[in-house]
Amino acid sequence: MVTPKHILGTFDEALAALRNNVLMMAGLTERSLERAMKGLVNRDDNICATAIADDEEIDQLEKQIDKDGVDILLRFQPVASDLRRVVAAMKLSSNLERMADMATTIARRARKLNRHPPLAEVDLIRPMYDHAMSMFKDSVDAFAREDVDLARAVVPRDQKLDDLNRMASHKLVDRMAQDPHQLRGYLNLIFVGRCLERVGDHATNIAEDAVYAAAAEDIRHQTAAVSV
Amino acid sequence: METTERSVMERAEQPPAPPLHAEAPMACTFQVKNLSIWYGEKRAIDDVTLDIASNGVTAIIGPSGCGKSTFIRALNRMHELVPKTRVEGQVLLQGEDLYSNTVDPAIVRRRVGMVFQKSNPFPTMTIGENVIVGLRLNGVRNQRFLDERLEKSLRMAALWDEVKDDLRKPGTSLSGGQQQRLCIARALAVEPEVILMDEPCSALDPIATAKIEELIYELKTKYTIVTVTHNMQQAGRISDYTAFFYLGRLIEFGPTTKIFTNPSEKQTEDYITGRFG
Repeated sequence: MVTPKHILGTFDEALAALRNNVLMMAGLTERSLERAMKGLVNRDDNICATAIADDEEIDQLEKQIDKDGVDILLRFQPVASDLRRVVAAMKLSSNLERMADMATTIARRARKLNRHPPLAEVDLIRPMYDHAMSMFKDSVDAFAREDVDLARAVVPRDQKLDDLNRMASHKLVDRMAQDPHQLRGYLNLIFVGRCLERVGDHATNIAEDAVYAAAAEDIRHQTAAVSV
Repeated sequence: METTERSVMERAEQPPAPPLHAEAPMACTFQVKNLSIWYGEKRAIDDVTLDIASNGVTAIIGPSGCGKSTFIRALNRMHELVPKTRVEGQVLLQGEDLYSNTVDPAIVRRRVGMVFQKSNPFPTMTIGENVIVGLRLNGVRNQRFLDERLEKSLRMAALWDEVKDDLRKPGTSLSGGQQQRLCIARALAVEPEVILMDEPCSALDPIATAKIEELIYELKTKYTIVTVTHNMQQAGRISDYTAFFYLGRLIEFGPTTKIFTNPSEKQTEDYITGRFG
């Protein structure tokens, strides 16, 4: 369904600019996570350094999106779907910024790992990364296309990521007991796993915001609400 | 000093308003049933059915010419002042059909007061006379009673403190915002059940507008208020329910929070988001 033009052309322009900045920020965050993972798997400090440097640009975009969002609220006082889009965009940028922070943490942990002999247990991280990135991309796609079904489908996938992280942590703790000389390395991998688990949480948040933006439905904390 | 200003804590201490849902049973002051209104050959209101909740604010929104003012004026038969008007359907006020042959329009207008877009104090009357003119016209002569009602009405309209020493000055000596509150006091003086407001803030500055909005917030605890507004933000701020009219038809009616966050009808969404036409 095509949205009719706003009677104020400048409003449509401002909303489009806000949305484009969010999508650009999502693209940069995705690239930063890819680089951090590459730095970990390929033991490449340079790529890690690039991933860490990416964070600055993403931080600036977060501030820009907040400023633009507040500006739109102030100037146009949007309502209904327009209001939801602006609010969702601002919340998205906050989640993206946290994801980029996770990429930075992964890259820093990878640099520490690179100073020691390689650990075969890095393979435990790969399926977590693939799952987290799949959730991330789908949540951003759902927001961009206002696809409520896709957004809803992202949310339950977080459970698998939690399970993968729990299994990997158990294995790594076991390895720490068996091979205490590599204790720091295993600990760093546990932290990387935790970062990816957090990426999944933020992807879930984005998916929930995408549902709110498109359908005005708040699907957060539904299991908690039922159990109260 | 009595004032409409109240602290956040004072407001927080009030019990929360019950959630309002269009589907839920609610106490209704007005029940409008299949209302159609013609001016000559032109149909201004087309088969509108709507229940207006008691002790709440209902905002009527819609583009110019959609029938907002006609609808609100039909609630106290004010539209009949326009020649060649014809009405079909029913408007029940507390269950009584306002258009029944046995009902006197003057009584209807006493029960359903009205405030207009442009403040209209009687230019030859003092501030005090403006407030109690309705009572005098109804034959009230007891000066003590009139004085009490004068003060009470001006206090309810949040104007007493500003004019209590100037009651003998002309009503037109007041500022635009004060004049509008004077008109509200005049409407309140005859103790109506409902107050209709036809764009009451459209000619006022933001400060005077804020005072009227605060006043509406206060008054809704005692009165049912129906207001027409072109200002979406104002409708969102002051009303509990919102009705969207277009081409004389009621397109959507529901709780204001619902209408302004997730309207059911695309025409409503397009209008309130500025994508209409």
